Amino acid sequence: MEFAGFDRPRPSGGTLTATALKILVAGGFGVGKTTMVGTISEIRPLHTEELLSDRGVGVDDVSGVERKVATTVALDFGRITIRQDLWLYLFGTPGQDRFWFMWDELALGALGAVVLADTRRLADCFPAVDYFEQLKLPFVVAVNCFDGARRHDPGKVRRAVGLDETTPVIMCDARNRSSVKEVLTMLVTHAMEVR
Amino acid sequence: MTDDDPGPLIRLYGLTGGRARPQGEAFDLVAIVATVHLPQEPSVLNPEHHTILRICRRPTPVADVAAGLGLPLNVTRVLLGDLRREGLVSITPPKPANQSIDERTYRDVLHGIRRL
Ligand SMILES: Nc1nc2c(ncn2[C@@H]2O[C@H](COP(=O)(O)OP(=O)(O)O)[C@@H](O)[C@H]2O)c(=O)[nH]1
Ligand SMILES: [Mg+2]
Repeated sequence: MEFAGFDRPRPSGGTLTATALKILVAGGFGVGKTTMVGTISEIRPLHTEELLSDRGVGVDDVSGVERKVATTVALDFGRITIRQDLWLYLFGTPGQDRFWFMWDELALGALGAVVLADTRRLADCFPAVDYFEQLKLPFVVAVNCFDGARRHDPGKVRRAVGLDETTPVIMCDARNRSSVKEVLTMLVTHAMEVR
Repeated sequence: MTDDDPGPLIRLYGLTGGRARPQGEAFDLVAIVATVHLPQEPSVLNPEHHTILRICRRPTPVADVAAGLGLPLNVTRVLLGDLRREGLVSITPPKPANQSIDERTYRDVLHGIRRL
């Protein structure tokens, strides 16, 4: 197993200047979130199986082994090193509704989000769009062109999703590195403009 | 607990003494962990604690620590909480985005993405 911490240059300024920025990759099941993170990450896309116990239940008073824990959720993430002391982390948000509470943690302090959409099931991206709008977190909508043809009309998608004029809509192929770079560039530029 | 395969979960909770989440605050996924001291009394730590101390000789975000350990996030957080209580690691929470991301940082990020 690769220790992600080992292949990294030592930050010259120590912990005080080390900064990790978060970008979220959201969207419905099977829309290409894991693919997108894997395409751009400099490390093998890592995922951590998250163990969930019932929230708010004290567990220290349970003798022996925690009883409620049975659920795991895969949280995949990738990393891009920007400078010696500055990293960009991409987190694929868990798709299932019951893991919404994890989004709050992921979104806290995030630079922005990519909402992946599939024109065949556009409604799957609505919850993510609603969530980021409510949070006022800058986001872009990236339409993953599964059919390979870039014939979708961004304007149509914008109207169908009910986006305001300022939120960028872009066509992409989550498997293609330069396409994912383009999406991230658009997000960062957008975040910079609206902040 | 399901009947199917509780084995790994039991092992994990054995690691943390049955604790599912750390006491006190939950560390952010991108909080930076740094080893600040080496243990005086090695026997109180388990191998996973030592692995963390090794990983975090270079300041490392919590998510990377979990990935490096191959352990769930919440289990990793419990172990990090232990180490912090022992004064062996520092855990620096990320600054709010509007403070940590200034104009220069945005430009560096854009440049970094282009260079990939
Ligand atoms: N044709 C095509 N297939 C894709 C694209 N992106 C992802 N896929 C495939 O769609 C499936 C689901 O993608 P995945 O990344 O696992 O979706 P997730 O559930 O959002 O993480 C996988 O089999 C991918 O290989 C794309 O841009 N074009
Ligand atoms: Mg996935």
